[in-house]
Amino acid sequence: MSATAARAAAPARRGARFDPRGLVLPLLALIVWQLWALTLPHDSPAPSPARVIATFIELVRSGDLPSALAMSLGRVIAGFATGLATGVTVGVLMGAFRPVRRVLEPIIESFRPVAPMAILPIAILWFGTGTPAAVSIVGYAAFFPLLVNTVHGVSRVDRKLVQAARTMGVSRPRILAKVVLPAAMPSIMLGARLGMSVAWTAIIAAELAVGSKSGGGNSGGIGSMMFVFYAYSVDLNGIVVCMIVVGVVALLIDQLFRAAEARLLPWRQ
Amino acid sequence: MEKTQTGAKPASRDGDGPANAAPQRPGLPAMLLEIPGVVPALSFAGFVALWWAGAAWNGNSIQLPTPPEVFGALVSLARDGELFTNAGLSLSRLIVSMSIAVLIAVPLGFWMGLSETLRRYVDPTIELLRPISGIAWIPLALFIFGVGGVLPVFIMTYVAFFPLVMNTFAGVRGADPKLVAAARTMGVGRLRITARVVLPSALPTIMVGVRLALAGAWSAIIAAELIGAPTGLGFAIEWYRELLASPKVFAYVGVIAGVGYLADLALQWLQRRLTPWTVGGGLS
Amino acid sequence: MQAVENAKLRLKDVTKTFIAPRTLKPTVAVSDVTLDIMRGEFVCIVGPSGCGKSTVLNMIAGLEAPSDGTIFMDDRPISGPSAERGVMFQDYALFPWLTVQDNIGFGLRNGTPGHSLSAGEIKDRIEAHIDLVRLRGSEAKYPHQLSGGMRQRVALARLLANGPDVLLMDEPLGALDAQTRLILQSELLRIWGETSPTAQRKTAIFITHDIEEAVFLADRVVVMSRHPGRVRALLDIDLPRPRNEHVRTTQRFGELSEEIWQLIRDEALEAIA
Ligand SMILES: Nc1ncnc2c1ncn2[C@@H]1O[C@H](COP(=O)(O)OP(=O)(O)OP(=O)(O)O)[C@@H](O)[C@H]1O
Ligand SMILES: [Mg+2]
Repeated sequence: MSATAARAAAPARRGARFDPRGLVLPLLALIVWQLWALTLPHDSPAPSPARVIATFIELVRSGDLPSALAMSLGRVIAGFATGLATGVTVGVLMGAFRPVRRVLEPIIESFRPVAPMAILPIAILWFGTGTPAAVSIVGYAAFFPLLVNTVHGVSRVDRKLVQAARTMGVSRPRILAKVVLPAAMPSIMLGARLGMSVAWTAIIAAELAVGSKSGGGNSGGIGSMMFVFYAYSVDLNGIVVCMIVVGVVALLIDQLFRAAEARLLPWRQ
Repeated sequence: MEKTQTGAKPASRDGDGPANAAPQRPGLPAMLLEIPGVVPALSFAGFVALWWAGAAWNGNSIQLPTPPEVFGALVSLARDGELFTNAGLSLSRLIVSMSIAVLIAVPLGFWMGLSETLRRYVDPTIELLRPISGIAWIPLALFIFGVGGVLPVFIMTYVAFFPLVMNTFAGVRGADPKLVAAARTMGVGRLRITARVVLPSALPTIMVGVRLALAGAWSAIIAAELIGAPTGLGFAIEWYRELLASPKVFAYVGVIAGVGYLADLALQWLQRRLTPWTVGGGLS
Repeated sequence: MQAVENAKLRLKDVTKTFIAPRTLKPTVAVSDVTLDIMRGEFVCIVGPSGCGKSTVLNMIAGLEAPSDGTIFMDDRPISGPSAERGVMFQDYALFPWLTVQDNIGFGLRNGTPGHSLSAGEIKDRIEAHIDLVRLRGSEAKYPHQLSGGMRQRVALARLLANGPDVLLMDEPLGALDAQTRLILQSELLRIWGETSPTAQRKTAIFITHDIEEAVFLADRVVVMSRHPGRVRALLDIDLPRPRNEHVRTTQRFGELSEEIWQLIRDEALEAIA
């Protein structure tokens, strides 16, 4: 009942907020950009809105863009799943058992400022320049938001709820599964959303960097595609197409996770 | 009075036992663990031991150098001064881009908070750009700026812009209307209200935005330098990777974490100075 | 000394001291409580706010350990919580992610009370308890969609559905309107087993601030006092059972209420001064 309410609320709010004034700036930018592009000589590599659209259609038709996108998404999903499994497991252990937390926290905290990109050279050393390196970086990036939010959620579970379950003769493992985990779910879902968003950023970075540093080997994926456009075919329109695709995918991922939250957590006020 | 077996008081309660049990006198080892810093030191020792054991077992110092090798590399890089040059360069790029981002984003966010009209014009554009990560700008920015120091600064400024503008806006919007009204009733003018009431109440949120922006920027600089700069920590780490000088790669990873951590500590200090009323303020 | 054979619960010199985590400052919440509660007895605890009523209840539940002294159930020391002693918490402790019916069925599905029941029997039991607390029509709602009184009834139904031997209730009817409250008081007596022989009754401990509620329900009223929390007096309520609304108008009912009021009056006044 509240599930439908929650699902209905979000689009309604967004619909009500639509305001044509918001389009002024983007449209103006597009027009200025197109006019500027028209003043350039015909063989200039500079991108223009018209050519970006043409390139987009061409890339979709040739199947290059869909296959690169599928490659990147596959890697993100694999890496995210790794980060999800490890982050939530370690997070639950740290949140539920103080000694675990006390021992692991200093180490986790000192790895947190190590950017995923700083791990890239190590990942290349360990896994080469293919998919495993990319997946491990994505997993590393997704791990921290998931871990931190899981720990937060689990350690904040209302003690009374755990006590109530104990007075009903519920076993420890079952309390973890049936009380602690559901109670921490809003935090975990938030961690998943944040984790997925950094994972998507990380895969682009990883593919871009692998493309740029591994002697030009095309490792596939949309980041790699961007690098090929930059370094070999000098196709700025292609680069802009990729940028837009990256942004749209990020937006869709975010919306997907928000919808999942509303659906899976109908009990939140 | 009957002396029943008071000893029957459930003595051994495992972790399952009720909380707040009678305070029992902890033994000496347990007391040592309570001294601040002891547990972190022990877990670091454990971590280094594991790493060392793993490296010894692996036996390939290109894949996984031992702790002494990495420490030796760190010392030699420091002795050369190379480490400080690169760290200094990255740090100065960070400071420049953070400054630019603050100068643009904070006034913009502030103005958006005060003017609904401006927000209606600008907000959708920000929301359109935000999903395009800073990293995705690198190839295009390489064309525009070429390989060099400008590229990382551009990328970091872009990355830092969004948390700053959004937190500033949220802080201004979140300024307690009752405080503003109270100031109004005291005959305080608009400008003064903005400076004396809105700014202070938005400041904690802005500071959180600054810390988020710094974390994001520091993460992006590695990618930017790694791909598009001939200097800096990100460049150095990749340079030694290509030379298969793993101890130096690992040493630089440590430095990146260290500088990022210190920069955040500095901001936390600033946060306490600027907004002392927010105890334990903010992140994480 | 007393008729120990029939004691379901025995509290022996029970003291509870809380130690503040940082300052290590001790607070004596309960001091030297000695009390025998008979099998099938309905005991109400009254006393000013902060006198340690909830603390006593939590210790009987096994959720807190006494700092000193021992609590026995059936002559065995209590060492932790068990489904034999069901608790209804002062703030309900409903699971916010479960609907009314799933909250009521939580113990049956996950804990020891449901071990010998089939899925169908569990379902029937949940349905019966939804009706019992008159929540038909709201069984698919989440706790945040309920009023305070409805939440309280869910908590009561959850407690009863688990069929515990001992009912530990912390102000279970506090948030209800006066009419519902009176109805549920009678209902509670019926569920406890007022019309059955003493041997078949459950053992109930019931905390309340409402003196007349205590007199109406209890076989015995424990009056507690503050600083530190002690048992100040024990009163036998010699009103005949089964009780109905009529008992409230009797002279004896008034006398007993007055007596309890006199006992806690000074402290109650002091507490608000
Ligand atoms: N976990 C705890 N830590 C420290 N002190 C506590 C704790 N629980 C209770 N106390 C203290 O013990 C005393 C008794 O508390 P308790 O909750 O048992 O009172 P109560 O009689 O149930 O009050 P009320 O009628 O308001 O519910 C109070 O002074 C309270 O501050
Ligand atoms: Mg209480």
